[in-house]
Amino acid sequence: MVNFTVEEVRELMDKPTNVRNMSVIAHVDHGKSTLTDSLLSKAGIISAAKAGDARATDTRADEQERGITIKSTAISLYGHLEDDEDIKEITQKTDGKDFLINLIDSPGHVDFSSEVTAALRVTDGALVVVDTIEGVCVQTETVLRQALGERIKPVVIINKVDRALLELQVSKEDLYQSFSRTIESVNVVISTYFDKTLGDVQVYPYKGTVAFGSGLHGWAFTVRQFAMRYAKKFGVDRLKMMERLWGDNYFNPATKKWTKNGTHDGKQLERAFNQFILDPIFRIFAAVMNFKTDEIPTLLEKLSIKLAPEDKEKEGKQLLKVIMRTFLPAADALLEMLILHLPSPVTAQKYRAETLYEGPPDDEACIGIRDCDPKAPLMLYVSKMVPTSDKGRFYAFGRVFAGTVKSGLKVRIQGPNYTPGKKDDLFIKAIQRTVLMMGGKVDPIENVPAGNILGLVGIDQFLLKSGTLTTSETAHNLKVMKFSVSPVVQRSVEVKNAQDLPKLVEGLKRLSKSDPCVLTFISPSGEHVVAGAGELHLEICLKDLEEDHAGVPLRISDPVVSYRETVTGKSSITALSKSPNKHNRLYMIAEPLDEEVSKEIEAGRISPRDDFKARARILADDFGWDVTDARKIWCFGPDTNGANLLVDQTKAVQYLSEIKDSVVSGFQWASREGPVAEEPMRSCRFNIMDVTLHADAIHRGGGQLIPTARRVLYAAALLAEPGLLEPVFLVEIQVPESAMGGVYGVLTRRRGHVFNEEQRPGTPLFTIKAYLPVMESFGFNADLRSHTSGQAFPTLVFDHWQILPGGSPIDGTSKVGQVVQAMRKRKGIKVEVPGVENYYDKL
Amino acid sequence: MTQQSAPPILSTPQESTLFEDPTPISLTPRKKHTKEEIRTIYEVERTAREIVKGGWRRVALQLPDGMLGDAPGVFEGLEEEIGRLEMGGWRVGGDAPGVFEGLEEEIGRLEMGGWRVGGDEKEGEGEEREVEINGEGKVESFRKGDRGSREKIRLAILADTSYGSCCVDEIAAEHTNAEVVIHYGRACLSPTARLPVLYVYTSMPLEISEVLTAFERNFEKEAKAGKGEKVIVMADLTYHSHVPLLLDSLQEKGWKNIRGTEVVHDPLAPIPNRKISWESEEGEGDENLKDWKIWHISQPPTSLLLTLSSRIKELLIYPTNEKSSTNNDLTIRPQTSRLLSRRYALLTQLSTTPIIGILINTLSLSSLLPSLSLLKSLIHNAGKKSYTFCVGKVNSAKMANFSEVGGWVVLGCWESSLLEGNEFYAPVVTPFELGIALMGDEERVWSGEWRGDFSVLKEEEQKKREIEVKRTEIDGGEPEILAQDNDESGEIDEEDESEPPVYDFRTGRYISNSRPMKASKSISTSTTSASPSTDIPGGPHTSTEGNQTLARRAKLDVATINGTASPGAEFLRSQRTWTGLGSDFERVDGGGDGDREGEGGLIEEGRRGVARGYVVGERVVRT
Repeated sequence: MVNFTVEEVRELMDKPTNVRNMSVIAHVDHGKSTLTDSLLSKAGIISAAKAGDARATDTRADEQERGITIKSTAISLYGHLEDDEDIKEITQKTDGKDFLINLIDSPGHVDFSSEVTAALRVTDGALVVVDTIEGVCVQTETVLRQALGERIKPVVIINKVDRALLELQVSKEDLYQSFSRTIESVNVVISTYFDKTLGDVQVYPYKGTVAFGSGLHGWAFTVRQFAMRYAKKFGVDRLKMMERLWGDNYFNPATKKWTKNGTHDGKQLERAFNQFILDPIFRIFAAVMNFKTDEIPTLLEKLSIKLAPEDKEKEGKQLLKVIMRTFLPAADALLEMLILHLPSPVTAQKYRAETLYEGPPDDEACIGIRDCDPKAPLMLYVSKMVPTSDKGRFYAFGRVFAGTVKSGLKVRIQGPNYTPGKKDDLFIKAIQRTVLMMGGKVDPIENVPAGNILGLVGIDQFLLKSGTLTTSETAHNLKVMKFSVSPVVQRSVEVKNAQDLPKLVEGLKRLSKSDPCVLTFISPSGEHVVAGAGELHLEICLKDLEEDHAGVPLRISDPVVSYRETVTGKSSITALSKSPNKHNRLYMIAEPLDEEVSKEIEAGRISPRDDFKARARILADDFGWDVTDARKIWCFGPDTNGANLLVDQTKAVQYLSEIKDSVVSGFQWASREGPVAEEPMRSCRFNIMDVTLHADAIHRGGGQLIPTARRVLYAAALLAEPGLLEPVFLVEIQVPESAMGGVYGVLTRRRGHVFNEEQRPGTPLFTIKAYLPVMESFGFNADLRSHTSGQAFPTLVFDHWQILPGGSPIDGTSKVGQVVQAMRKRKGIKVEVPGVENYYDKL
Repeated sequence: MTQQSAPPILSTPQESTLFEDPTPISLTPRKKHTKEEIRTIYEVERTAREIVKGGWRRVALQLPDGMLGDAPGVFEGLEEEIGRLEMGGWRVGGDAPGVFEGLEEEIGRLEMGGWRVGGDEKEGEGEEREVEINGEGKVESFRKGDRGSREKIRLAILADTSYGSCCVDEIAAEHTNAEVVIHYGRACLSPTARLPVLYVYTSMPLEISEVLTAFERNFEKEAKAGKGEKVIVMADLTYHSHVPLLLDSLQEKGWKNIRGTEVVHDPLAPIPNRKISWESEEGEGDENLKDWKIWHISQPPTSLLLTLSSRIKELLIYPTNEKSSTNNDLTIRPQTSRLLSRRYALLTQLSTTPIIGILINTLSLSSLLPSLSLLKSLIHNAGKKSYTFCVGKVNSAKMANFSEVGGWVVLGCWESSLLEGNEFYAPVVTPFELGIALMGDEERVWSGEWRGDFSVLKEEEQKKREIEVKRTEIDGGEPEILAQDNDESGEIDEEDESEPPVYDFRTGRYISNSRPMKASKSISTSTTSASPSTDIPGGPHTSTEGNQTLARRAKLDVATINGTASPGAEFLRSQRTWTGLGSDFERVDGGGDGDREGEGGLIEEGRRGVARGYVVGERVVRT
């Protein structure tokens, strides 16, 4: 039975100091959902017996089948700390001993890391799960980086300790070294992304921010827990004890003294951690697994573990589970760690407000967020949409950052493209109902104050994936989330039966809403395209589409890669195009944009919304731009925010501001469909060198200039050694030495480029890092499996764009040219790339 | 000094003009036709006879741009021939009945040869009537001729066509007070509104043997299988005269299931403007047209390609332009499905745009005005705003002048409604495609069926109306549904809430305000349904009520002009940075453009006057 009621939860919501919003993040298969189970069982949501196997937060059938988490799932828990000592140790303000923990279990597979981003946005703390044996993996690093970027404080649990004991049979000291290495590598990542405002958030076992345990067996401990036990026994201060129980601290049994020196009389002393913490655990394991039935009762008595009569009958692993679970219940260790060390919304929003809010730091909205004020104007961020049982409708899942949201409240819904003062992407709508998200279920709740996570009913039609809800008319948006993955793999779908088209179209809309990252659109050649982060992501999305969202049989094409057009040099001559009436001339030059600048733009750190002076400063200081150039960026494109820039370098041109709109329109158009293959452009900078215009306004209207701007941009691009960019995955492969040959073979055949190879200390496993073009990645997993007899485990995540090698795209005989021609053919346009003479006019 | 080789360009160059004659014209300067050639190609004799017979005194000759070079020749030939005929009329005046008979025979032959007197549509009886009328006219003309040669037949060449050369330019013809238009070259054969038309398709030479080899080579496999392939032979109008001969030769070679086509004036026919000459008496229904392949001589216009793609098995093209004759593979298999897909992509863009421009691309269609109002109401019912444009010959520059228009629909004949090319700033679709675009995602079906004409809109509209009537009969109509919605949201004033946005399939984003006129629509319909007495659309009562509500709602969503929501004004207000003189000054104040920052200037006296010569102050300057 659930041991708390919605009313209790509601009551706790009013005490934001006692709320902990946290997400569970990790690499795939490191045991997030399994660990979450132990917390759920503590809360009575699932039975203790099932915990560890149920993976209750994996609510979808395919999640259970495949054994991976696909969607992040939120659940609210009620936590209670018994000991006053514990409460005292909380460094932030608290109120009572009861706590509300809003937990989000997130997927670990790289392809779904957009779900993680969405989860992180609404939480303040993160429980990072690391596998004892595998250690810190790519995805651990990625999610940790994301968390720190959002100013989210991490705590770590090292999971699957049971495997180290049972399967690898490591010694105590080896285990300690392994722990220590893992923690070290986590801290390396954390310190790389050090944020002054957030302060030092490295994790240390002796501070209680690291736990060790086994989600599957349901046990875990922190150094602090043991310190508590021994503090009484030794009569030492607990904090001092904690420090002694980690690192190079030894208890010399001969002198009965603590020492930093590992040897005494030439004899190796046992490390305090090993002696006081690992030893009991090792003994239990040894006793139970070696079936030394007589030893067990004494051991239990010594550790004051009391078993239920029926549990005493068990033996082997079952018994071990029960003993360990009773000895060191995972939920207790985790709850204590979460409550003690993760920030409450009140604490967190103080330093998160400025990174969360797009507007000025001193307006009412921002102050409301900073103070986590339930009486301030509402500021609520919807980070994702969760499908309801009612087909086609969604709960808007989000967090109240300021104010209080309640049923019937009329709110302003601001989509990601909203700009204050304008009406684009702004809707007014009343919230129908507010609900509490409890895993797969929901519980209605009357209202929700600042600092809490909730679901909203009735506004799903207004938001595609995410957005800001507010009651203040002057409020800016809460910052739009940026994902670490991009939808670079595409497949097109079509209905088998033409009459089903409306269902497909509706399905595509729903699919787009249900996933933070997936993109669905109709290409200019008339195909319905679904774009995802990777093969697995796409597979899941298409399965959802076919079985759920559309519910009609579909034909699905082979995966294709989306390319980008770019330039690799500076235009050989200044491109000139004349308007149709020959009275206006535009002169432009194209040149490549620095990769760093493009990346900054794509990450949203340089954006068209920035103040132009501040932006110019950044460009000049960090990227060596000329300040006057940097100030005269006319626009970004395509879609007004892409990584192509139009820069005005003209001097004293009359009527220039009059034609700006037209030229910008032409630029958006041209950058959306490049000259080579009608693919979007990327990383190009176009400089307007000169403009001559007709003296009469009627002869320099949009009609004359929009097509001309497009033509001159095409001409400039074609004159600047155009190139095709292809997306590249970063591949990380864990593989035993014996199978490495196979890995290299597969990578080489697929144009892969290995740049790092490292042995994981203490294991026979190697980690290979390589770049692999997305185009070559289709079927990579299967290929790798067959060449390494299933011993290699790859993770692929989009990393960067690279020039497709093999010649010029304009040259039809080169390799790139053929790719271009095939692409043009598929699009149903003229196969040959139109030459520059089509766009370039002679003076 | 270089000698100027070409005259200076005075207007928009031809290559940016669309709506050119879709038949490929060799780009090399055509060699001058001799007088004799002109007489045969332009069928001068027959035309002259027809003119004389019709008794028309003022005749307009409309030639497509590619043939204008021959116009003087044709003109001279015709004058000569008419003169001869009229003289002949005098001379043989005595035995007029004999001539009359002979002429009638001639007319019959001409009809077979693919010529027709335009203006009338109906088959069978119409044809008879025509001959009759013509007969009378003939007599009349003789009488006129009798009355005196003072009223000479006057010919005029229309040097430029306002729209497509496939359509009859009635407006230009009316400028010359013409009584008849003689249309040369390929035509769309759409019904005209005002003037009778004589179509001269002109006959292009065709090497029959080459066509035959190409045919045989293409159907090699079928030839082995017994030459039973079902093929319809069809030709572009300019090659149509060769069809019977071709048919005979093919049948001689043993092809059993070959059919020819006849020209009919019916763009709505299963094969537009053609009738299949079924051999068997009972005739095969249109249903099994799908079993037939079409062997088309010369590149057909795209609209024909698209129309036929869903109706027949396959379309094979025998290209007639010189370039490809060197090519070994003489048959083109057009990728119509790709073309259709691109059309689909275009039209889906239109479903989210708030403003749609209606572009009129012909003035001669008899059904133009009703179609226009139908289109307008269609767009209005979809909650969008329409503006009507008439820009003469269309090119992308003219259309890009209206950047607030998010998409265009072209109202023209069945061939010229289809505008292709990626030169357009906003998507351009045909009325049929617009109908699909406005359907709404819930019901849009794209089966590959495509029609160039827009009569289909009317049918759809009718069907929809019927369904709606039925629906209101069954469940009492919309109001109840609305009430349910109200209940769910719990006594909230619906008025202030926004319309949900629309998913834009081009960018994969939500677009707000894609139906700016929607608000007024829903309210006005509810008023009409509430009071059935004011059911007449546009009735005075309804319109005033509609206006009131419209003004109130509009305040929230879009800019208004005189109380009417105007998405065009909204565009000007929100999208444009340049809104006229002084607006750049404001921006400079706000810290806008680099070096001119914060600086103002003294007001100077500027130029005034007309473009012929401006005046600065007192002095006259010429610019």
